[in-house]
Amino acid sequence: MKKKINIKESFIYGLIGIATLFTIGILVFILGFIFSKGLPHVDLYFLTSQFDSTSAYVDVKLSEGSQNPLGLILEETTIKEKGSKEKKVIVIKEIEDTSLVEDAINNKGQSLPLGEKDIINRVNGVNVEGKSVEDVNQILNNLSTDTVTMRITKPGGGIFPMIMTTLMMIGLSLLFSVPIGVFAAIYLVEYAKPGKFVNLVRFATESLAGIPSIIYGLFGMILFVMTLNLGYSLLAGALTLSIILLPVIIRQTEESLKAVPDSYREASFGLGANKIYTITRVVLPTAVPGIVVAIILSIGRIIGESAALLLTAGTAAKIPGSLLESGSTLTVKAYTVAKEEANIELASAIGSVIIIIIIILNALSKFISKKFSKI
Amino acid sequence: MEKDMKLDKKNELKEKLAHYLFLFNATVAIISVAAIAFFVFYRGLQPFIPGNAEGNYNLIDFLSGLEWRPSLGKFGILYMIVGSLLATFGAIILGVPVGILTAIFIAELAPKWAKKIIKPAVEMLAGIPSVLYGLFGLGVIVPWIMQISPQAQGQSLLAVIIVLMIMILPTVITITESAINSVPDAYREGSFGLGATKLYTIFKVVLPAAKSGILAGVVLGIGRAIGETMAVMLVAGNLIAGLPKSIFSPIRPLTTNIAMEMSYAFGLHQEMLFATGVVLFVFIILINLILSRITRGSVLK
Repeated sequence: MKKKINIKESFIYGLIGIATLFTIGILVFILGFIFSKGLPHVDLYFLTSQFDSTSAYVDVKLSEGSQNPLGLILEETTIKEKGSKEKKVIVIKEIEDTSLVEDAINNKGQSLPLGEKDIINRVNGVNVEGKSVEDVNQILNNLSTDTVTMRITKPGGGIFPMIMTTLMMIGLSLLFSVPIGVFAAIYLVEYAKPGKFVNLVRFATESLAGIPSIIYGLFGMILFVMTLNLGYSLLAGALTLSIILLPVIIRQTEESLKAVPDSYREASFGLGANKIYTITRVVLPTAVPGIVVAIILSIGRIIGESAALLLTAGTAAKIPGSLLESGSTLTVKAYTVAKEEANIELASAIGSVIIIIIIILNALSKFISKKFSKI
Repeated sequence: MEKDMKLDKKNELKEKLAHYLFLFNATVAIISVAAIAFFVFYRGLQPFIPGNAEGNYNLIDFLSGLEWRPSLGKFGILYMIVGSLLATFGAIILGVPVGILTAIFIAELAPKWAKKIIKPAVEMLAGIPSVLYGLFGLGVIVPWIMQISPQAQGQSLLAVIIVLMIMILPTVITITESAINSVPDAYREGSFGLGATKLYTIFKVVLPAAKSGILAGVVLGIGRAIGETMAVMLVAGNLIAGLPKSIFSPIRPLTTNIAMEMSYAFGLHQEMLFATGVVLFVFIILINLILSRITRGSVLK
């Protein structure tokens, strides 16, 4: 009889252990999958280059004091273009110090420095695709002028525009939502008496927290994109996001305001300070770490958001030139790359960057709340 | 004396202004909820109101239709509702036991060092964006299902269930854990005092006492599962018509219907997508009502 219970107990312990291991295991599996597929593609070039490849004609002066006519060391590689076969191209492998390709000028007179990995398509009107490095060097060595006109292709494949869009989206959404959220929390903690209004605000924030992001996307699209005619834009996306962030900011700020001891307020009042002075000079400064944590959590939420942005900010893979231009954040791009191009490697590379950012944010918020929780 | 009074007046005005500023910002949340509900319902119900500029569609046909072919003017979403509900149901059936058992381990059994590993892991799971869950599903789960599936593709109800089950874990775990933690120690001591074993205490004393909190976690999990879009879109298959016949059939949840076609839809097609949003929103409202009933119940206790 006793043994039977023990078997049953150890069975249940086993189940609990398996469930916990499953939870941890799945996390390790997901992170392992994304990092192993993605991290090999993440390097400085990936982080700092444009996403789309661009071609242009540039004029370059020949460099002096170098064996190589342009101060460039070239190599052959094969690239695979979308929807076409692999082809051999000449790319820039290294740029020597004496090279003047930094001062290259495009046919509109703008500066367009060449960089490593750029593909050389044409030299003075001669198509060099499929030619060997020797052939190209020979063309370059036999030039009669001191400038050469080349058609080059910057290969793209980087995520710099998405990083910039993400940063802009973070800045803009926080600009809207932090003041509203913090002021709302001040009202709830410092002014409001318990009653119908407070309950209504609480109900509203809870409801906001429970609305899925696709519904926010629909709302943002109907109101901001269509009714207010902002189009798919940074601004429409940020306005939508700022509503999504409200519950997080209000709740976190409320918690940190509540944690400020009443004795602080009483001391301030006792010294003759009025309410607004007490709030801005005594209560808020003490609650700053909590508000910072709210901001960090919000940043995490913005970085992770995709469905709402898909319907409000669009999917353009460039840095938005104004508030009314479309742009995709890292996460939205990871989606379009996975869905439309079925490119799991590239999506994982973007995913690796996202996860690293989220790990840093998590650690940061924990560090701050630990450091200041003693107040 | 007069100067003092002037200063007082000025201060009073400042205080009042500040008061109204804070009050106004507190109402933004309320205004937002009202605006979201108004705009989504207003636009989504247009096709069913006679005389709509973009054309009309029969509400019954919409809710009972098994085909979504915008080019033929067919907008039926019953098979999507069924798909969404089946996927959510499956995710809950698989995910809730795992979540509750993990929460029991964290709250009642784990030594300190283990807690230090598991809790951040759960937080990390909660922080991974849904697109990346979808990527994992597409890169790992879909190919795996393709090997065992009688169908030609791995994108299926089963893939959606597995991805959603993983995604609801952090919600279920965190809420259950805090519900268990809020059960007073006196309950446990009383049970031990009566000679009960640890497991008996957990399952017969602690869990029943934490019931409403756990239920709230489950309902939140349902909300997260039914509203999930991006992860699901990558693994669902998104077929045009027909109820799922087995767990290997592709499905088209309500959420992905909206997100997939919105970028190029116009006219009646676009309004029918808004209408899909209304149906989803009704489900979410129901879930929130149930949730608030549960949490209010626990406060009364």
